[in-house]
Amino acid sequence: MENRTTSPVGKSVPRVDARKKATGEAVYAFDLNMPGMLVGKMLRSPHPHAKILSIDTSKAQNLEGVAAVITAEDTFKIKFGSNEFFFPNTVDQMALESEKVRYIGDEIAAVAAVDEETAQKALSLISVKYEVLPAVFDAVSAMKPGAPQIHNAMNNIGVMMPVQFGDADKALKASDYIREDVFVLQSAAHCALEPHVSLGRYEVSGGRVTLWTSTQAPFKVREALAKVLKMAETDIRVVKLDVGGGFGGKLEMFPMDFAACLLSKKSGGLPVKIYCTRHEEFSFTRRKHPMIYKLKSGVKRDGTLMAITGEVIADGGAYCSYGPTVIAAAIMRIFMVYKITNIRIMGFRVYTNNPICGAIRGFGGVQSGFAFESHMDMLARGIGMDPVEFRLKNATDPDMTTINKLILSSNGLKDCIKKAAEASGWKNKYAKAKDGSKNTVKGIGMAVAADVMGSKMYKAHESAGSIIKVEEDGSVYLFTGAADTGQGSDTAMAQIAAQELGIAYERVRVKAADTEITPFDTGSFASRVTFISGNATKNAAADAKRQILEVVACELKLEKDELDIRDEQVVKKQDGSVIISFDRAIQLCYSFNYGHLIIGRGSYNPKTTPIDFRTGEGNVSGSYGFEAQVAEVEVNKKTGQVKVLKMYDVHDIGYPINPASVHGQIEGSIIMGIGYTLYEDLKFSEGRVVNPSFSKYRIPRATDTIPIESIFIETNDPQGPFGAKGMGEASLLPTAAAIANAVYDAIGVQIKDLPITPQKVLKALKEKEAV
Amino acid sequence: MKNIKLKINNKTRELAVRDSELLIEMLRDRLGLLGTKYSCLEGDCGVCTVLLDGKNVLSCLILAADADGHEVTTIEGIAQKGVLHPLQESFVKNGAIQCGFCTPGMILAAKALLDKDPSPTDGEIASGLDGNLCRCTGYIKIIDAVRQASQRLKDGK
Repeated sequence: MENRTTSPVGKSVPRVDARKKATGEAVYAFDLNMPGMLVGKMLRSPHPHAKILSIDTSKAQNLEGVAAVITAEDTFKIKFGSNEFFFPNTVDQMALESEKVRYIGDEIAAVAAVDEETAQKALSLISVKYEVLPAVFDAVSAMKPGAPQIHNAMNNIGVMMPVQFGDADKALKASDYIREDVFVLQSAAHCALEPHVSLGRYEVSGGRVTLWTSTQAPFKVREALAKVLKMAETDIRVVKLDVGGGFGGKLEMFPMDFAACLLSKKSGGLPVKIYCTRHEEFSFTRRKHPMIYKLKSGVKRDGTLMAITGEVIADGGAYCSYGPTVIAAAIMRIFMVYKITNIRIMGFRVYTNNPICGAIRGFGGVQSGFAFESHMDMLARGIGMDPVEFRLKNATDPDMTTINKLILSSNGLKDCIKKAAEASGWKNKYAKAKDGSKNTVKGIGMAVAADVMGSKMYKAHESAGSIIKVEEDGSVYLFTGAADTGQGSDTAMAQIAAQELGIAYERVRVKAADTEITPFDTGSFASRVTFISGNATKNAAADAKRQILEVVACELKLEKDELDIRDEQVVKKQDGSVIISFDRAIQLCYSFNYGHLIIGRGSYNPKTTPIDFRTGEGNVSGSYGFEAQVAEVEVNKKTGQVKVLKMYDVHDIGYPINPASVHGQIEGSIIMGIGYTLYEDLKFSEGRVVNPSFSKYRIPRATDTIPIESIFIETNDPQGPFGAKGMGEASLLPTAAAIANAVYDAIGVQIKDLPITPQKVLKALKEKEAV
Repeated sequence: MKNIKLKINNKTRELAVRDSELLIEMLRDRLGLLGTKYSCLEGDCGVCTVLLDGKNVLSCLILAADADGHEVTTIEGIAQKGVLHPLQESFVKNGAIQCGFCTPGMILAAKALLDKDPSPTDGEIASGLDGNLCRCTGYIKIIDAVRQASQRLKDGK
């Protein structure tokens, strides 16, 4: 082996999959082609709300080249959902609807044909008779008595979730300064560059099915498929290949996953590939929840945050998806950042006849970050306090238990705030007099955030598993359920395995996220993989190491507890003296007398407590990550244009397994956040997406990128693998508020309605002048 | 159908293509060059970028027949005998690759840029890559990678 990187944790080793991605050899689901493969397509509702009176597929079925047509009549009509364990009432979607459609795009049938043209023609030959129903397109109207009923939910409220501690009314009365603000947040799209693809192949003789799909959570897809297909989990193999980005949009089973499997079965076992066009991606997959935050909070003159009260209303669209998790994130993340003891917030997720909202990087944390962190800045200003001082005064501490029983062990939040202020030169820039003669004005703003490392809201456990296999020649396989969708988990897992096993990173080959051969893992979401799957991998490597050392100790008549493996050598723990090489140790394991196959196994379930969803009490995550962001902006008062000049991100990441990957996540999040703050806006007209293409829905381009100073605070989390925390979502959470607060610093107006468009800036400036 | 003769990754090929066949379809479906990715098919995202006579073009907007007599380079054609092109090497080393879906197009667009202008500024690199979307990286490490590759190419290493 030429390149050997021993002790790889903490080093920016090249990713395990980088070379194949640079050469074009990486295989994504759309790249898979099989003999006899059919093209599948979904028939979608053209109406936002309608009763299905009849579906006639006979003409489509008789069309030459059509192999199969399916409707709900071919299914068991079983509903699926994403938060079934704690919220059985939110299980509300069927793979193919039979009685009613609830949004433009609702799936009611699917076809498989020899080619795309035939499949498209077959769709047009399916005759569906509808009785169109009145529809409702905004959450506030949907909650009113007499609004069209979308599901069997009172006032269309699919999820109602409170947080309540202390006596908020009393604390408000005792406050010196109280303010009320309303924040409005728009919908947005994930825009993973790889569209959703599902390729199903049914094995007729065995009654089994394999699904190759672009997913962040293959085990979750399998679970839902097993339920709706009424099959054993071992009869369904879900395989994740290389995935071209997810960002929360590939976290569920989709009707197209189901249809690819069932169409293959009905086609006698021919493989069926279904893929989304970009238009379908924008219109019919998942999107960000638009939300309205009404907040009323109070502070003491000395800056003590006394009380927070409010209401959050989210437009959830036609089905619940990850609604409960999103609402929990929207109202509960505040406890991780501020020592608040008097709080009362009610969160509502409301059904409408818009497309389905679901998980998107941060769940509801992005919305929460903008609303609360804008509000906090305004509270600080209201008492004439520097927002940095205000945050330092109220920020949570290490080793504390919050009012809702979150256990914050390592917590670098205050260090993040201080360092962000220092790095950005806050003192010399904030609230400085502006030159009134100039059109462009600069401003600086801060926001903070915290992140979970997984959230136990989907199953009773949140475990991940890993298996390590050391082959006779000393090369190592790592089988992990973790789903790398581009964030770099395969690489991080290989680094963790090599570090724990004391060998070179280059020895490890990762086989991940195939439900038939890798251990279970709930999936890539909620910044959980490095922390949870990383611990599982570390445990598996430790198990393999123990087995190797037992053989060495037995052969050489040493105590196994006195031995370790470091830098490819078996050494004495005490003085590091070399006993034998790792290669020699493996030869011993596989020798005549021992024949000991080295197979290590590990799993990890974070230590949490169940959440009481009547109050918001419970320790949802095994650990928490923290950060502070500072934005420097330039606002053109004449055009209303906001330009972000530079961002500073100071992040308590515990310890970076792969610093380049961590910086990459932070940079990607911030640029994504700038897009959401300034221009990304998924727009609708009567339930139809009106900008379903990259030319109409602008996302950041190379020329939109800005300098980012990314600084780590290393708190070495006691529970994290080698001290590491998860951090995939956190950097997106404070960006919008940091920018909005910087805009205020520049021009003295707070934009409370995203995105911050030039029109809104000009309007706000005009209103300010009028006062 | 139309018979065309063109050079693909330095090999001369003679093919019969449908009149409506797109270049991306010919490359992927007929020749198995799957590194040319498939995403919007509307010319908006850049993942299907290939080089046509050295210039970066979107293979979803070009008919295969129109490539007749020209030279097409795909991501599979820029490594030499298993040795990665300096741009590929630089993308790997600089953490410029996350999900990888934009990477082939991005590297080819960067190659077209550096072939034309060996010493671009960061702003010129960004402009050269402006038609290639990336949702993962925020472009920072991609621009770093192109800058470093340009240095390496100039140094002749």
